[in-house]
Amino acid sequence: MTAMVATARGVGRLALSWLAVVATVFVLLRAMPGDPVEVFLAQTNIAAGPETVAAYRARWGLDGPLAAQFLQWVLGFVTFDWGVSFETGRPVAEELAGRAPYSAAIGFGGMALAVAGGFCLGFAAAHRPGGWADAASRVLAVAGQALPAFAVGLVALWILGVHLRWINAFGGGVTERILLPVLLVAFFSIGSMARLARAGFHDVRRSPYYLTALSKGRSRLAALWFHGRAAGALTLMAGLAPELAWIVGGTAVAEIVFGVPGLSERIVQAVANRDYAVIQPYVALVALWVICLLQGARVLRRALDPRIP
Amino acid sequence: MKRIVRFLACLAALAGLAFWASGALPDPHAIDLSNRLASPSLQHPLGTDHLGRDLAARLVWGALPSLAAVALVLSGGLGLGVLAGGVMALGPRALRAGVQWLAETALAVPTLVTALVLSAAFGAGLLTVAMALLVTSWAPYALAVAALFDRIRGEPYWMASQALGARPSAAIVRHMLPNAWPALGALAGADAGRAVILVASLGFIGLSADTGRPEWGAMIHEYRMFLFTEPRLVLAPILTCTLVCVALHGLLDRGAAKARR
Repeated sequence: MTAMVATARGVGRLALSWLAVVATVFVLLRAMPGDPVEVFLAQTNIAAGPETVAAYRARWGLDGPLAAQFLQWVLGFVTFDWGVSFETGRPVAEELAGRAPYSAAIGFGGMALAVAGGFCLGFAAAHRPGGWADAASRVLAVAGQALPAFAVGLVALWILGVHLRWINAFGGGVTERILLPVLLVAFFSIGSMARLARAGFHDVRRSPYYLTALSKGRSRLAALWFHGRAAGALTLMAGLAPELAWIVGGTAVAEIVFGVPGLSERIVQAVANRDYAVIQPYVALVALWVICLLQGARVLRRALDPRIP
Repeated sequence: MKRIVRFLACLAALAGLAFWASGALPDPHAIDLSNRLASPSLQHPLGTDHLGRDLAARLVWGALPSLAAVALVLSGGLGLGVLAGGVMALGPRALRAGVQWLAETALAVPTLVTALVLSAAFGAGLLTVAMALLVTSWAPYALAVAALFDRIRGEPYWMASQALGARPSAAIVRHMLPNAWPALGALAGADAGRAVILVASLGFIGLSADTGRPEWGAMIHEYRMFLFTEPRLVLAPILTCTLVCVALHGLLDRGAAKARR
Protein backbone atom coordinates (compact mmCIF):
# COMPACT_ATOMS: atom_id res chain seq x y z
CA MET A 1 0.00 0.00 0.00
CA THR A 2 2.69 2.48 0.98
CA ALA A 3 4.60 1.53 -2.14
CA MET A 4 1.57 2.35 -4.24
CA VAL A 5 1.12 5.70 -2.51
CA ALA A 6 4.79 6.48 -3.02
CA THR A 7 4.55 5.57 -6.69
CA ALA A 8 1.46 7.71 -7.16
CA ARG A 9 3.23 10.60 -5.43
CA GLY A 10 6.27 10.17 -7.65
CA VAL A 11 4.18 10.16 -10.80
CA GLY A 12 2.30 13.22 -9.56
CA ARG A 13 5.54 15.07 -8.94
CA LEU A 14 6.79 14.18 -12.43
CA ALA A 15 3.56 15.36 -14.00
CA LEU A 16 3.90 18.63 -12.08
CA SER A 17 7.46 19.19 -13.34
CA TRP A 18 6.32 18.50 -16.88
CA LEU A 19 3.38 20.88 -16.54
CA ALA A 20 5.68 23.58 -15.15
CA VAL A 21 8.05 23.32 -18.12
CA VAL A 22 5.26 23.24 -20.68
CA ALA A 23 3.39 26.14 -19.05
CA THR A 24 6.55 28.27 -18.98
CA VAL A 25 7.13 27.75 -22.68
CA PHE A 26 3.43 28.27 -23.44
CA VAL A 27 3.31 31.63 -21.66
CA LEU A 28 6.68 32.69 -23.08
CA LEU A 29 5.66 32.03 -26.67
CA ARG A 30 2.29 33.75 -26.26
CA ALA A 31 3.67 36.76 -24.41
CA MET A 32 5.86 37.70 -27.33
CA PRO A 33 4.99 40.60 -29.62
CA GLY A 34 3.91 39.59 -33.11
CA ASP A 35 0.54 37.91 -33.56
CA PRO A 36 0.92 34.65 -35.56
CA VAL A 37 -2.47 35.21 -37.22
CA GLU A 38 -1.49 38.63 -38.49
CA VAL A 39 1.90 37.36 -39.63
CA PHE A 40 0.20 34.52 -41.51
CA LEU A 41 -2.40 36.76 -43.12
CA ALA A 42 0.24 39.30 -44.10
CA GLN A 43 2.12 36.50 -45.91
CA THR A 44 -0.95 35.46 -47.87
CA ASN A 45 -1.50 39.05 -49.07
CA ILE A 46 -5.21 38.85 -48.41
CA ALA A 47 -6.96 41.86 -46.92
CA ALA A 48 -8.57 40.05 -44.02
CA GLY A 49 -11.57 41.34 -42.13
CA PRO A 50 -11.95 40.99 -38.38
CA GLU A 51 -14.17 37.92 -38.77
CA THR A 52 -11.42 36.09 -40.71
CA VAL A 53 -8.91 36.92 -37.99
CA ALA A 54 -11.36 35.71 -35.34
CA ALA A 55 -11.95 32.48 -37.26
CA TYR A 56 -8.21 31.77 -37.48
CA ARG A 57 -7.77 32.59 -33.80
CA ALA A 58 -10.49 30.11 -32.89
CA ARG A 59 -9.04 27.45 -35.20
CA TRP A 60 -5.54 27.80 -33.81
CA GLY A 61 -6.72 27.96 -30.21
CA LEU A 62 -5.60 31.55 -29.72
CA ASP A 63 -8.88 33.01 -28.46
CA GLY A 64 -10.05 33.26 -24.89
CA PRO A 65 -8.00 33.90 -21.75
CA LEU A 66 -4.49 32.44 -21.43
CA ALA A 67 -5.40 29.90 -18.75
CA ALA A 68 -8.27 28.55 -20.86
CA GLN A 69 -5.99 28.33 -23.89
CA PHE A 70 -3.45 26.39 -21.85
CA LEU A 71 -6.06 24.01 -20.45
CA GLN A 72 -7.41 23.42 -23.94
CA TRP A 73 -3.90 22.82 -25.24
CA VAL A 74 -2.97 20.33 -22.51
CA LEU A 75 -6.19 18.39 -22.97
CA GLY A 76 -5.55 18.35 -26.71
CA PHE A 77 -1.96 17.19 -26.22
CA VAL A 78 -2.93 14.35 -23.93
CA THR A 79 -5.57 13.12 -26.40
CA PHE A 80 -3.13 13.44 -29.33
CA ASP A 81 -5.10 16.29 -30.83
CA TRP A 82 -2.12 18.58 -31.37
CA GLY A 83 -3.79 21.12 -33.63
CA VAL A 84 -2.63 22.25 -37.06
CA SER A 85 0.62 23.87 -38.10
CA PHE A 86 0.25 27.64 -38.58
CA GLU A 87 2.50 27.38 -41.55
CA THR A 88 1.44 24.33 -43.55
CA GLY A 89 -2.07 23.82 -42.19
CA ARG A 90 -1.44 20.09 -41.74
CA PRO A 91 -2.11 18.31 -38.44
CA VAL A 92 0.95 18.60 -36.20
CA ALA A 93 0.56 15.14 -34.69
CA GLU A 94 0.72 13.60 -38.16
CA GLU A 95 3.74 15.65 -39.19
CA LEU A 96 5.68 14.86 -36.04
CA ALA A 97 4.68 11.20 -35.84
CA GLY A 98 6.47 10.47 -39.11
CA ARG A 99 9.64 12.11 -37.85
CA ALA A 100 9.72 11.12 -34.19
CA PRO A 101 10.93 7.52 -34.77
CA TYR A 102 14.17 8.78 -36.33
CA SER A 103 14.87 11.17 -33.46
CA ALA A 104 13.92 8.59 -30.86
CA ALA A 105 16.15 5.95 -32.45
CA ILE A 106 19.12 8.30 -32.61
CA GLY A 107 18.62 9.69 -29.12
CA PHE A 108 17.97 6.37 -27.45
CA GLY A 109 20.62 4.52 -29.43
CA GLY A 110 23.20 7.21 -28.70
CA MET A 111 22.38 7.24 -25.02
CA ALA A 112 22.39 3.46 -24.69
CA LEU A 113 25.71 3.23 -26.49
CA ALA A 114 27.22 6.02 -24.39
CA VAL A 115 26.07 4.47 -21.10
CA ALA A 116 27.09 0.92 -21.98
CA GLY A 117 30.35 1.93 -23.65
CA GLY A 118 31.19 4.41 -20.92
CA PHE A 119 30.59 1.77 -18.26
CA CYS A 120 32.89 -0.73 -19.94
CA LEU A 121 35.56 1.87 -20.69
CA GLY A 122 35.37 3.14 -17.12
CA PHE A 123 35.83 -0.40 -15.83
CA ALA A 124 38.86 -0.92 -18.05
CA ALA A 125 40.26 2.46 -17.03
CA ALA A 126 39.86 1.73 -13.32
CA HIS A 127 41.34 -1.74 -13.72
CA ARG A 128 44.58 -0.26 -15.04
CA PRO A 129 44.99 3.37 -14.03
CA GLY A 130 47.31 5.04 -16.48
CA GLY A 131 46.71 2.34 -19.08
CA TRP A 132 45.38 2.78 -22.59
CA ALA A 133 41.73 2.73 -21.53
CA ASP A 134 42.39 5.42 -18.92
CA ALA A 135 44.12 7.61 -21.50
CA ALA A 136 41.40 6.99 -24.09
CA SER A 137 38.63 7.92 -21.68
CA ARG A 138 40.44 11.12 -20.77
CA VAL A 139 40.99 12.10 -24.40
CA LEU A 140 37.34 11.33 -25.21
CA ALA A 141 36.13 13.38 -22.24
CA VAL A 142 38.12 16.43 -23.32
CA ALA A 143 37.13 15.98 -26.97
CA GLY A 144 33.48 15.79 -25.96
CA GLN A 145 33.71 19.17 -24.33
CA ALA A 146 35.95 21.01 -26.75
CA LEU A 147 34.87 19.89 -30.23
CA PRO A 148 31.73 21.15 -31.93
CA ALA A 149 29.53 18.14 -32.72
CA PHE A 150 28.38 19.36 -36.10
CA ALA A 151 31.97 19.92 -37.17
CA VAL A 152 32.98 16.40 -36.19
CA GLY A 153 29.99 15.10 -38.15
CA LEU A 154 31.00 17.10 -41.22
CA VAL A 155 34.61 15.91 -41.05
CA ALA A 156 33.39 12.32 -40.63
CA LEU A 157 31.27 12.76 -43.74
CA TRP A 158 34.25 14.15 -45.59
CA ILE A 159 36.57 11.33 -44.60
CA LEU A 160 34.09 8.44 -44.93
CA GLY A 161 32.30 9.79 -47.97
CA VAL A 162 35.09 11.30 -50.03
CA HIS A 163 38.36 9.74 -49.03
CA LEU A 164 37.31 6.22 -48.17
CA ARG A 165 34.03 6.14 -50.14
CA TRP A 166 32.49 3.83 -47.55
CA ILE A 167 29.22 5.70 -47.41
CA ASN A 168 27.05 7.69 -49.72
CA ALA A 169 27.19 11.12 -48.11
CA PHE A 170 23.83 12.90 -47.88
CA GLY A 171 22.33 9.90 -49.58
CA GLY A 172 20.37 7.63 -47.77
CA GLY A 173 20.43 4.12 -46.27
CA VAL A 174 20.11 3.10 -42.68
CA THR A 175 23.87 3.54 -42.14
CA GLU A 176 23.82 7.23 -42.97
CA ARG A 177 20.53 7.97 -41.31
CA ILE A 178 20.78 6.07 -38.05
CA LEU A 179 24.17 4.50 -37.45
CA LEU A 180 26.38 7.54 -38.04
CA PRO A 181 24.19 9.91 -35.98
CA VAL A 182 24.06 7.36 -33.16
CA LEU A 183 27.85 7.08 -33.20
CA LEU A 184 28.20 10.85 -33.25
CA VAL A 185 25.89 11.31 -30.26
CA ALA A 186 27.61 8.53 -28.33
CA PHE A 187 31.08 9.84 -29.18
CA PHE A 188 30.43 13.05 -27.32
CA SER A 189 29.07 11.48 -24.15
CA ILE A 190 31.09 8.32 -23.82
CA GLY A 191 34.18 10.07 -22.43
CA SER A 192 32.54 11.81 -19.52
CA MET A 193 30.40 8.73 -18.82
CA ALA A 194 33.58 6.65 -18.67
CA ARG A 195 35.22 9.12 -16.28
CA LEU A 196 32.18 8.94 -14.00
CA ALA A 197 32.12 5.13 -14.00
CA ARG A 198 35.87 5.07 -13.43
CA ALA A 199 35.49 7.24 -10.34
CA GLY A 200 32.95 4.78 -8.94
CA PHE A 201 35.14 1.75 -9.63
CA HIS A 202 38.20 3.54 -8.35
CA ASP A 203 36.64 4.25 -4.94
CA VAL A 204 36.02 0.53 -4.53
CA ARG A 205 39.69 -0.23 -5.03
CA ARG A 206 40.47 1.55 -1.79
CA SER A 207 37.76 -0.18 0.24
CA PRO A 208 38.42 -2.93 2.79
CA TYR A 209 36.08 -5.45 1.17
CA TYR A 210 38.03 -5.23 -2.07
CA LEU A 211 41.24 -5.99 -0.18
CA THR A 212 39.50 -8.88 1.56
CA ALA A 213 38.42 -10.29 -1.78
CA LEU A 214 42.01 -10.03 -3.03
CA SER A 215 43.36 -11.76 0.06
CA LYS A 216 40.86 -14.57 -0.48
CA GLY A 217 42.64 -15.21 -3.75
CA ARG A 218 40.33 -13.61 -6.26
CA SER A 219 42.00 -12.01 -9.24
CA ARG A 220 42.01 -8.20 -9.35
CA LEU A 221 39.77 -8.21 -12.41
CA ALA A 222 37.17 -10.48 -10.83
CA ALA A 223 37.23 -8.64 -7.50
CA LEU A 224 36.82 -5.25 -9.16
CA TRP A 225 33.96 -6.50 -11.30
CA PHE A 226 32.18 -8.33 -8.48
CA HIS A 227 32.46 -5.56 -5.89
CA GLY A 228 32.68 -2.50 -8.11
CA ARG A 229 30.00 -2.83 -10.75
CA ALA A 230 27.21 -1.45 -8.55
CA ALA A 231 29.35 1.50 -7.47
CA GLY A 232 30.37 2.21 -11.06
CA ALA A 233 26.80 2.11 -12.28
CA LEU A 234 25.72 4.28 -9.36
CA THR A 235 28.08 7.19 -10.06
CA LEU A 236 27.27 6.91 -13.75
CA MET A 237 23.54 7.23 -13.06
CA ALA A 238 24.15 10.13 -10.68
CA GLY A 239 25.91 12.08 -13.43
CA LEU A 240 23.30 11.37 -16.06
CA ALA A 241 21.44 14.70 -15.88
CA PRO A 242 24.01 16.95 -17.61
CA GLU A 243 24.78 14.21 -20.15
CA LEU A 244 21.11 13.77 -20.93
CA ALA A 245 20.79 17.45 -21.70
CA TRP A 246 23.72 17.07 -24.06
CA ILE A 247 22.29 14.02 -25.76
CA VAL A 248 19.03 15.77 -26.64
CA GLY A 249 20.92 18.69 -28.18
CA GLY A 250 23.44 16.39 -29.81
CA THR A 251 20.66 14.39 -31.43
CA ALA A 252 19.30 17.55 -33.01
CA VAL A 253 22.72 18.55 -34.33
CA ALA A 254 23.43 15.05 -35.67
CA GLU A 255 20.10 15.02 -37.48
CA ILE A 256 20.84 18.30 -39.18
CA VAL A 257 24.39 17.38 -40.17
CA PHE A 258 23.48 14.01 -41.66
CA GLY A 259 20.23 15.19 -43.21
CA VAL A 260 18.03 12.85 -41.19
CA PRO A 261 14.32 13.55 -41.63
CA GLY A 262 13.82 13.71 -37.86
CA LEU A 263 12.11 16.22 -35.60
CA SER A 264 14.92 18.77 -35.52
CA GLU A 265 14.76 19.77 -39.15
CA ARG A 266 11.07 20.56 -38.78
CA ILE A 267 11.67 22.44 -35.53
CA VAL A 268 14.36 24.68 -37.00
CA GLN A 269 11.98 25.52 -39.81
CA ALA A 270 9.21 26.17 -37.27
CA VAL A 271 11.48 28.41 -35.21
CA ALA A 272 12.38 30.46 -38.26
CA ASN A 273 8.68 30.92 -39.06
CA ARG A 274 7.51 31.24 -35.44
CA ASP A 275 5.18 28.29 -35.90
CA TYR A 276 4.24 27.89 -32.22
CA ALA A 277 1.82 25.06 -32.93
CA VAL A 278 4.80 22.84 -33.82
CA ILE A 279 7.28 24.15 -31.23
CA GLN A 280 4.92 23.59 -28.30
CA PRO A 281 4.40 19.83 -28.75
CA TYR A 282 8.09 19.39 -29.51
CA VAL A 283 9.08 20.98 -26.21
CA ALA A 284 6.44 18.92 -24.43
CA LEU A 285 7.87 15.73 -25.96
CA VAL A 286 11.47 16.62 -25.09
CA ALA A 287 10.48 17.50 -21.54
CA LEU A 288 8.63 14.19 -21.21
CA TRP A 289 11.65 12.25 -22.49
CA VAL A 290 14.11 13.99 -20.18
CA ILE A 291 11.87 13.70 -17.12
CA CYS A 292 11.14 10.01 -17.72
CA LEU A 293 14.82 9.16 -18.21
CA LEU A 294 15.88 11.09 -15.11
CA GLN A 295 13.24 9.30 -13.09
CA GLY A 296 14.31 5.98 -14.57
CA ALA A 297 17.91 6.69 -13.53
CA ARG A 298 16.72 7.61 -10.03
CA VAL A 299 14.77 4.37 -9.69
CA LEU A 300 17.78 2.42 -10.88
CA ARG A 301 20.06 4.16 -8.39
CA ARG A 302 17.66 3.33 -5.60
CA ALA A 303 17.63 -0.29 -6.69
CA LEU A 304 21.43 -0.36 -6.72
CA ASP A 305 21.83 1.41 -3.40
CA PRO A 306 18.90 1.19 -0.98
CA ARG A 307 20.47 3.88 1.22
CA ILE A 308 19.53 6.60 -1.28
CA PRO A 309 16.25 8.18 -0.14
CA MET B 1 42.83 34.08 -8.77
CA LYS B 2 45.97 33.78 -10.88
CA ARG B 3 43.98 31.78 -13.36
CA ILE B 4 41.38 34.51 -13.68
CA VAL B 5 44.10 37.11 -14.26
CA ARG B 6 45.68 34.91 -16.89
CA PHE B 7 42.29 34.45 -18.53
CA LEU B 8 41.63 38.18 -18.63
CA ALA B 9 45.12 38.80 -20.02
CA CYS B 10 44.51 36.31 -22.81
CA LEU B 11 41.13 37.87 -23.55
CA ALA B 12 42.78 41.26 -23.78
CA ALA B 13 45.49 39.85 -26.06
CA LEU B 14 42.81 38.34 -28.30
CA ALA B 15 40.96 41.65 -28.43
CA GLY B 16 44.21 43.39 -29.32
CA LEU B 17 44.87 40.84 -32.06
CA ALA B 18 41.39 41.38 -33.45
CA PHE B 19 41.89 45.13 -33.36
CA TRP B 20 45.17 44.82 -35.24
CA ALA B 21 43.65 42.40 -37.73
CA SER B 22 40.71 44.70 -38.43
CA GLY B 23 43.23 47.19 -39.83
CA ALA B 24 45.78 44.87 -41.39
CA LEU B 25 43.55 42.29 -43.06
CA PRO B 26 41.34 42.97 -46.07
CA ASP B 27 37.69 43.87 -45.65
CA PRO B 28 35.81 40.61 -44.85
CA HIS B 29 32.85 41.74 -46.96
CA ALA B 30 34.81 42.75 -50.06
CA ILE B 31 33.60 40.53 -52.91
CA ASP B 32 36.10 39.89 -55.70
CA LEU B 33 34.65 37.48 -58.23
CA SER B 34 37.80 37.50 -60.37
CA ASN B 35 39.68 35.99 -57.45
CA ARG B 36 37.35 33.15 -56.42
CA LEU B 37 38.59 30.17 -54.37
CA ALA B 38 42.17 31.43 -54.50
CA SER B 39 44.83 29.36 -52.73
CA PRO B 40 46.65 30.86 -49.74
CA SER B 41 49.01 33.64 -50.73
CA LEU B 42 50.75 36.61 -49.12
CA GLN B 43 47.81 38.87 -49.83
CA HIS B 44 45.25 36.32 -48.61
CA PRO B 45 46.95 34.24 -45.88
CA LEU B 46 44.23 31.56 -45.97
CA GLY B 47 43.00 32.11 -49.50
CA THR B 48 39.56 33.30 -50.56
CA ASP B 49 36.08 31.78 -50.59
CA HIS B 50 33.59 31.20 -53.40
CA LEU B 51 32.84 34.92 -53.60
CA GLY B 52 36.48 35.96 -53.45
CA ARG B 53 36.25 37.16 -49.84
CA ASP B 54 39.35 36.86 -47.66
CA LEU B 55 39.01 33.79 -45.41
CA ALA B 56 41.43 34.98 -42.71
CA ALA B 57 39.60 38.28 -42.30
CA ARG B 58 36.27 36.48 -42.03
CA LEU B 59 37.68 34.14 -39.38
CA VAL B 60 38.95 37.05 -37.30
CA TRP B 61 35.68 38.96 -37.55
CA GLY B 62 33.80 35.75 -36.77
CA ALA B 63 35.42 35.69 -33.33
CA LEU B 64 33.33 38.65 -32.18
CA PRO B 65 29.99 36.92 -31.53
CA SER B 66 31.68 33.94 -29.85
CA LEU B 67 33.79 36.03 -27.51
CA ALA B 68 30.86 38.27 -26.67
CA ALA B 69 28.78 35.21 -25.78
CA VAL B 70 31.60 33.88 -23.58
CA ALA B 71 31.84 37.17 -21.70
CA LEU B 72 28.05 37.37 -21.21
CA VAL B 73 27.71 33.77 -20.04
CA LEU B 74 30.68 33.81 -17.69
CA SER B 75 29.66 37.02 -15.94
CA GLY B 76 25.96 36.12 -15.76
CA GLY B 77 26.40 32.46 -14.86
CA LEU B 78 28.98 33.10 -12.18
CA GLY B 79 26.96 35.91 -10.62
CA LEU B 80 23.67 34.05 -10.61
CA GLY B 81 25.28 30.79 -9.52
CA VAL B 82 27.14 32.26 -6.54
CA LEU B 83 23.98 34.09 -5.51
CA ALA B 84 21.85 30.93 -5.72
CA GLY B 85 24.54 28.91 -3.97
CA GLY B 86 24.55 31.43 -1.15
CA VAL B 87 20.77 31.16 -0.85
CA MET B 88 21.03 27.38 -0.86
CA ALA B 89 23.57 27.44 1.95
CA LEU B 90 22.28 30.28 4.10
CA GLY B 91 18.71 31.07 3.05
CA PRO B 92 15.48 30.15 4.80
CA ARG B 93 14.73 26.44 4.84
CA ALA B 94 11.76 26.54 2.45
CA LEU B 95 13.68 28.62 -0.09
CA ARG B 96 16.71 26.35 0.19
CA ALA B 97 14.85 23.25 -0.94
CA GLY B 98 13.20 25.18 -3.78
CA VAL B 99 16.47 26.55 -5.12
CA GLN B 100 18.11 23.14 -4.85
CA TRP B 101 15.29 21.55 -6.84
CA LEU B 102 15.53 24.33 -9.42
CA ALA B 103 19.29 23.85 -9.78
CA GLU B 104 19.01 20.09 -10.18
CA THR B 105 16.24 20.49 -12.73
CA ALA B 106 18.11 23.17 -14.67
CA LEU B 107 21.02 20.76 -15.14
CA ALA B 108 18.87 18.54 -17.34
CA VAL B 109 17.58 21.31 -19.61
CA PRO B 110 18.91 20.78 -23.14
CA THR B 111 20.64 24.01 -24.09
CA LEU B 112 20.00 23.68 -27.79
CA VAL B 113 16.26 23.24 -27.24
CA THR B 114 16.20 26.27 -24.93
CA ALA B 115 18.05 28.24 -27.56
CA LEU B 116 15.54 27.18 -30.21
CA VAL B 117 12.55 28.14 -28.06
CA LEU B 118 14.08 31.47 -27.11
CA SER B 119 14.93 32.27 -30.70
CA ALA B 120 11.34 31.53 -31.63
CA ALA B 121 10.18 33.89 -28.91
CA PHE B 122 12.72 36.72 -29.06
CA GLY B 123 14.26 36.23 -32.48
CA ALA B 124 17.75 34.85 -33.06
CA GLY B 125 20.61 36.85 -31.64
CA LEU B 126 23.51 36.99 -29.29
CA LEU B 127 21.39 37.82 -26.25
CA THR B 128 19.15 34.85 -27.01
CA VAL B 129 22.15 32.53 -27.08
CA ALA B 130 23.45 33.96 -23.82
CA MET B 131 20.06 33.58 -22.15
CA ALA B 132 19.77 29.97 -23.31
CA LEU B 133 23.18 29.18 -21.86
CA LEU B 134 22.34 30.96 -18.61
CA VAL B 135 19.27 28.77 -18.05
CA THR B 136 21.58 25.82 -17.38
CA SER B 137 24.97 27.27 -16.58
CA TRP B 138 24.19 28.87 -13.21
CA ALA B 139 23.19 25.52 -11.68
CA PRO B 140 26.62 23.83 -11.40
CA TYR B 141 28.09 26.96 -9.80
CA ALA B 142 25.23 27.06 -7.30
CA LEU B 143 25.58 23.38 -6.40
CA ALA B 144 29.36 23.70 -6.10
CA VAL B 145 29.13 26.76 -3.87
CA ALA B 146 26.48 25.11 -1.67
CA ALA B 147 28.51 21.89 -1.31
CA LEU B 148 31.63 23.87 -0.53
CA PHE B 149 29.80 25.87 2.07
CA ASP B 150 28.59 22.72 3.77
CA ARG B 151 32.18 21.57 4.04
CA ILE B 152 33.54 24.90 5.27
CA ARG B 153 30.90 25.11 7.97
CA GLY B 154 32.72 22.36 9.86
CA GLU B 155 36.14 24.04 9.62
CA PRO B 156 37.62 25.66 12.72
CA TYR B 157 38.31 28.99 11.00
CA TRP B 158 34.64 29.31 10.08
CA MET B 159 33.49 28.59 13.63
CA ALA B 160 36.08 31.05 14.93
CA SER B 161 34.81 33.78 12.63
CA GLN B 162 31.26 33.02 13.74
CA ALA B 163 32.26 33.12 17.38
CA LEU B 164 33.89 36.49 16.80
CA GLY B 165 30.57 37.73 15.42
CA ALA B 166 31.43 38.18 11.71
CA ARG B 167 28.51 39.18 9.51
CA PRO B 168 27.45 36.51 6.94
CA SER B 169 28.33 38.71 3.97
CA ALA B 170 31.84 39.37 5.26
CA ALA B 171 32.31 35.68 6.05
CA ILE B 172 31.28 34.72 2.51
CA VAL B 173 33.68 37.18 0.92
CA ARG B 174 36.57 36.27 3.21
CA HIS B 175 36.25 32.49 3.56
CA MET B 176 34.03 31.02 0.93
CA LEU B 177 34.90 32.78 -2.32
CA PRO B 178 38.68 32.25 -2.12
CA ASN B 179 38.09 28.54 -1.50
CA ALA B 180 35.56 28.33 -4.28
CA TRP B 181 37.76 29.80 -7.04
CA PRO B 182 39.41 26.55 -8.23
CA ALA B 183 36.12 24.68 -8.62
CA LEU B 184 34.33 27.69 -10.10
CA GLY B 185 37.18 28.32 -12.53
CA ALA B 186 36.97 24.74 -13.75
CA LEU B 187 33.24 25.09 -14.34
CA ALA B 188 33.82 28.43 -16.04
CA GLY B 189 36.23 26.80 -18.48
CA ALA B 190 33.60 24.25 -19.48
CA ASP B 191 30.99 27.01 -19.79
CA ALA B 192 33.18 29.19 -21.95
CA GLY B 193 33.83 26.32 -24.33
CA ARG B 194 30.14 25.47 -24.40
CA ALA B 195 29.28 29.07 -25.24
CA VAL B 196 31.64 29.07 -28.22
CA ILE B 197 30.23 25.77 -29.47
CA LEU B 198 26.60 26.80 -29.02
CA VAL B 199 27.11 30.06 -30.92
CA ALA B 200 28.69 28.07 -33.74
CA SER B 201 25.96 25.39 -33.63
CA LEU B 202 23.18 27.96 -33.87
CA GLY B 203 25.04 29.70 -36.67
CA PHE B 204 25.35 26.39 -38.46
CA ILE B 205 21.64 25.69 -38.14
CA GLY B 206 20.98 29.15 -39.55
CA LEU B 207 19.87 30.93 -36.40
CA SER B 208 22.84 33.22 -35.92
CA ALA B 209 22.30 36.86 -35.09
CA ASP B 210 22.98 38.40 -38.46
CA THR B 211 23.53 36.23 -41.51
CA GLY B 212 25.44 38.98 -43.27
CA ARG B 213 28.13 39.18 -40.63
CA PRO B 214 30.91 36.56 -40.50
CA GLU B 215 30.38 33.91 -37.82
CA TRP B 216 32.18 30.56 -37.55
CA GLY B 217 29.14 28.32 -37.52
CA ALA B 218 27.45 30.23 -40.33
CA MET B 219 30.68 30.04 -42.32
CA ILE B 220 30.84 26.27 -41.91
CA HIS B 221 27.24 26.06 -43.08
CA GLU B 222 27.87 28.35 -46.04
CA TYR B 223 31.00 26.51 -47.15
CA ARG B 224 29.81 22.98 -46.49
CA MET B 225 29.07 22.40 -50.17
CA PHE B 226 32.78 22.92 -50.83
CA LEU B 227 33.64 20.23 -48.30
CA PHE B 228 34.56 17.82 -51.06
CA THR B 229 36.34 20.21 -53.41
CA GLU B 230 37.88 22.86 -51.13
CA PRO B 231 38.05 21.33 -47.62
CA ARG B 232 40.25 24.27 -46.54
CA LEU B 233 37.16 26.51 -46.40
CA VAL B 234 35.35 24.22 -43.93
CA LEU B 235 38.32 23.02 -41.92
CA ALA B 236 39.63 26.53 -41.17
CA PRO B 237 36.59 27.67 -39.14
CA ILE B 238 36.28 24.24 -37.51
CA LEU B 239 39.90 24.30 -36.38
CA THR B 240 39.61 27.89 -35.17
CA CYS B 241 36.54 27.01 -33.13
CA THR B 242 38.20 23.93 -31.62
CA LEU B 243 41.41 25.79 -30.83
CA VAL B 244 39.52 28.53 -29.03
CA CYS B 245 37.58 25.93 -27.00
CA VAL B 246 40.72 24.04 -26.05
CA ALA B 247 42.47 27.30 -25.15
CA LEU B 248 39.58 28.40 -22.94
CA HIS B 249 39.51 24.99 -21.26
CA GLY B 250 43.25 25.04 -20.72
CA LEU B 251 43.15 28.51 -19.23
CA LEU B 252 40.25 28.00 -16.84
CA ASP B 253 39.91 24.27 -16.47
CA ARG B 254 43.33 22.99 -15.37
CA GLY B 255 42.88 19.80 -13.43
CA ALA B 256 39.13 20.13 -13.54
CA ALA B 257 38.69 16.46 -14.30
CA LYS B 258 40.64 15.62 -11.16
CA ALA B 259 38.75 18.09 -9.00
CA ARG B 260 35.33 17.03 -10.14
CA ARG B 261 35.59 13.34 -10.79
